[in-house]
Amino acid sequence: MTELKYTTAEGLKVQLDNINLCKNKQIILQNIQVTLSSDDFILMTGQNGSGKSTFLKIIAGLLKPDSFNLNYSEQLKNNSWQSSKKFLRQHFCYLHQTPYLFSGSVYDNIAYGLKYRGLNKAEISHKVHEALELISLPHLVQRNSQVLSGGEKQRVAIARSWVIQPNFILLDEPFANMDKHSRHRTYATINQLKEDNIGIIITSHDPHRGELDFNKQMHLYQGIISEKEYESNA
Amino acid sequence: MNDLSLATQQAVILLFKADPQIWEIIFLSFSVSLRAILLAAPPAILIAFYLSYFKFPGRHFLISLFNTAMAIPAVVVGLTLYLLLSRSGPLGDLQLLFTQDAMIIGQIILCFPLLVALSHAALYAMDRRAWETAITLGSHPARAFFTVLKEARFGLTAAIIAAFGRIIAEVGSSMMIGGNILHYTRNIPTAIALETSKGSFAQGIALGIILLLMALMLNLILSWIQSRSGAHHD
Repeated sequence: MTELKYTTAEGLKVQLDNINLCKNKQIILQNIQVTLSSDDFILMTGQNGSGKSTFLKIIAGLLKPDSFNLNYSEQLKNNSWQSSKKFLRQHFCYLHQTPYLFSGSVYDNIAYGLKYRGLNKAEISHKVHEALELISLPHLVQRNSQVLSGGEKQRVAIARSWVIQPNFILLDEPFANMDKHSRHRTYATINQLKEDNIGIIITSHDPHRGELDFNKQMHLYQGIISEKEYESNA
Repeated sequence: MNDLSLATQQAVILLFKADPQIWEIIFLSFSVSLRAILLAAPPAILIAFYLSYFKFPGRHFLISLFNTAMAIPAVVVGLTLYLLLSRSGPLGDLQLLFTQDAMIIGQIILCFPLLVALSHAALYAMDRRAWETAITLGSHPARAFFTVLKEARFGLTAAIIAAFGRIIAEVGSSMMIGGNILHYTRNIPTAIALETSKGSFAQGIALGIILLLMALMLNLILSWIQSRSGAHHD
């Protein structure tokens, strides 16, 4: 049984290096080295097909790269992807561009990650309602997940990730195909995540920061990441 | 034509009279085929999942093998098992020939490739994001596996119903390795074959009606399940 961590107050800092991936003899990621902290709010840019989603899936423990090194602590030093997979899955939560909601209600979806963690029904229910408040959709609790709009699905998926309190949430093009209203709502939800000290990486092919107060930009071009720090908008 | 209508009338009367011998045969048929399906389905679905979600050398060959094996004639399975299980055969010491266990083995061999191939089709068509979402929300791979099965439940149910339909109606294997022994290994198809050869068409037609009703019932269950699946997407 996995112990649920409700606070990320202590934060998390990991160093990932030597990330390489070749697919069909084409270099997707080349010797990537990044340091990620749960204070980070990163905008990851790059053209379509530049490998942004691939990078996120690798660090979320969902896709095996050709090589990978994780340095976290004395115990977790120079670890391969295979041996870091569990750690990555525990601390990083990946959201697809079009999130997948399981069949069932919105409640079932948000409660999914809370089951088998030693919580009783009342605690799960409390957390689910708290998550629905976060995304301002408490009235949808019993709604069939398949009938939600694209924007609502995205926000429910964010709430479903938030509720398990990972150290990082990785959002893959969350604003693609979203109208202005949904985009505005989603900005508000993401800003809320920041207040909970959850590290966020958002990919976009559009380098504009919108209403989000990123502290860093990573640009992926021909398999190589270049970084720049932003000055705070606040 | 008159013979046919007379025999059909007698068959209906037999069914309404609830002839105990007929019901015993029906019960035996269901009992043997249900046990075969229950034993075959879990490993078949596991193999189908493995074929759908993991890449390994020889995977395509295995898929082709199962697709080809779907077409194995029941009589060939019967003949092979007869040779293996007969007293002089390599497995003769098990004394399984002309037993319900032998019929179950035959039916498992017949439905296994169909179960693997149809479950593979259902799982392969399943959105891969379901697996990734379950994993990234902290599920152990075993729980993620059951989540994917739940998401693909309509396709998997269809696979099980199709496989059950095949074995409950097969005559070749049951006749050869079951031996059509009254009260012990006589099932609906072998009884129909016997009654027809004896010229007592009424009993044969009565059992045929049962098989048709059963096929209708299975299809109604299937469309009910599919309509429930449709309701989720309305």
